[in-house]
Amino acid sequence: MSDLALSSRKPAASLNGYRVVQSISVFVIALVVVSPLFMLFIASLKDDRFQILADMGSFRAFWVDNPTFNNFREVGNFAGELAFGRYLGNSLFILGSTVSLGLVINSMAGFILAWGSLPGRALILSVIIALYVIPQESIIMPLLIIVSRAGLSDTFTAQILPFVASPLYTFLFYQFFAQLPKELYEAASIDGASIFRTWWSIFVPLSLPALATVSILMGIETWNQYLWPILITQTDYARPISVAIATFFGQDSIYWDRAMAASVMMMIPILVFYLAFQRWFISSFVGSAVKG
Amino acid sequence: MSALTTVPKRRRRSIIARVGWPRFLQEIGMLAPAVVLMTAFLITPFLLSFWTAMTNQPLVPRPTPVRFIGLKNFLRILNDDLFWTSLWNVTRFTLWVLPVQCGLAFVTALILNQKIPFRNVFRGMFFLPAITSMVVVCVIWGTLFQYPTGPLNHIVVTLSGGHVEPIDWLGDPNWAMFSIVLLSAWQAYGFQMIIYLAGMQGIPDELYDAARIDGAGRWGRFWHVTMPGLRPTHVFVLVITTIQAFKLYTQVAILTQGGPRSSTETVVHYMVRAGFEEQKLGYASSVSVILFLIVLVIALIQRRLMRRFDV
Repeated sequence: MSDLALSSRKPAASLNGYRVVQSISVFVIALVVVSPLFMLFIASLKDDRFQILADMGSFRAFWVDNPTFNNFREVGNFAGELAFGRYLGNSLFILGSTVSLGLVINSMAGFILAWGSLPGRALILSVIIALYVIPQESIIMPLLIIVSRAGLSDTFTAQILPFVASPLYTFLFYQFFAQLPKELYEAASIDGASIFRTWWSIFVPLSLPALATVSILMGIETWNQYLWPILITQTDYARPISVAIATFFGQDSIYWDRAMAASVMMMIPILVFYLAFQRWFISSFVGSAVKG
Repeated sequence: MSALTTVPKRRRRSIIARVGWPRFLQEIGMLAPAVVLMTAFLITPFLLSFWTAMTNQPLVPRPTPVRFIGLKNFLRILNDDLFWTSLWNVTRFTLWVLPVQCGLAFVTALILNQKIPFRNVFRGMFFLPAITSMVVVCVIWGTLFQYPTGPLNHIVVTLSGGHVEPIDWLGDPNWAMFSIVLLSAWQAYGFQMIIYLAGMQGIPDELYDAARIDGAGRWGRFWHVTMPGLRPTHVFVLVITTIQAFKLYTQVAILTQGGPRSSTETVVHYMVRAGFEEQKLGYASSVSVILFLIVLVIALIQRRLMRRFDV
């Protein structure tokens, strides 16, 4: 309100000019950001792959006369050449297992590091923080040796187990648990609850924000994995949808209609979650960044 | 409490005496899965990479034993022109992507930080590409980049009134890396945008009020309140973007395979080719050690800068 009083000395016209520039830029950015995605959904409903490319140069890219699910029917098989139903299932299975195991394991570790009484907790914590700097890309070659020597090539295990425990997520849980009040922990131990019980029935129910953050970050990371599965999967058995979509590019002439439908299949699960929990998504990504 | 105990007190009692066996075992059991998994799949490969880097380890085991060859791999890498090309390419990519991606993110955040209608809707919309898988982004941009009649060429030709020839975005060595920059910036800028927004919302309103009372206009407030307040955010965003840029892989592997004429070859792509396609894991591990050192240096620089700005 005082804001208004102070700025009212300014001529109204310049304020409006500023607003107009603002609105136009937001609109232009929105167009640039959203139209390629919108186009993807529209194109996936067009049957003719040459028509898709021909339409691209005009507004027809944003319109479909006879929407059809033929592309989806074509690629959505569970066996055979275009088994994207299977690949999608594989990806969902890897996602579900990684995130659920990851939540339990990183949360337990974070809790012990924050409230346990083991000696050397501070040391373990600083090692974990230091490990965070190692990029996945720089350990992937030796990891390939370890995993293939363990006989895990081309399995689901190879795509789940190595990524369950993570320095970042353990640290996020540690950080969340450490800022809860001491009384909470003391009340539980006076009641004679074991430390596992204290974690499970008192701290876990309170850690919904941390659970949501870790699920979202881990989920996106797992869903978008590309380099590792391309190295470790050789057959359809455990191949995730990301790797399968990339194989469209290996062909002489790209079947854009099928590639578009497969891409939409890959996008829909994330999109549904995003639309439902948008606020959580954004705060999770901000939260992953505050750590310096 | 301990007044009644007759046991002579030591300065530190062992953990088992303090909490008892059951609790000790429980704590070990709760911490162990994470520690064991991180040791197996993070620490071991990390340490192993330094060892493998000094051997001629192949991908598939051979009857001949793996030999220790010292720093030969590193010497070979440093003498390989393709490695230097890939390092130069990711540097080029970084120098392009920093201003394009972070600049766009910064401007968008500035606009969304005002009280404009539907601000949260726009924020959610602009973040959408950031959660879209890179593979899907490649499918979308693969069609946008079509030569000679794709949508981007259509726009270029129309806007220039036909004076500019259609561009072979991914096939022309002069354009390929720039095209990868465009697509990457489009995909990832939403992340930087929300980091900037969070940084801007962390600047206290009182500072703006004070500046206003001192007679600062829109520009004055921007230069003397917003920019200084965002210094740690700038450092963070620039460092994170640089590290990401040096790890460039997926979009290049899918769309150009490092070509044309090695103009989009990157360090990670070079590493994967050596290790996976040429089956020289030892050599590839040496590249990964170099990659780690680069990331480490960038992270250390960040830590230094952050400390300076926090004080």
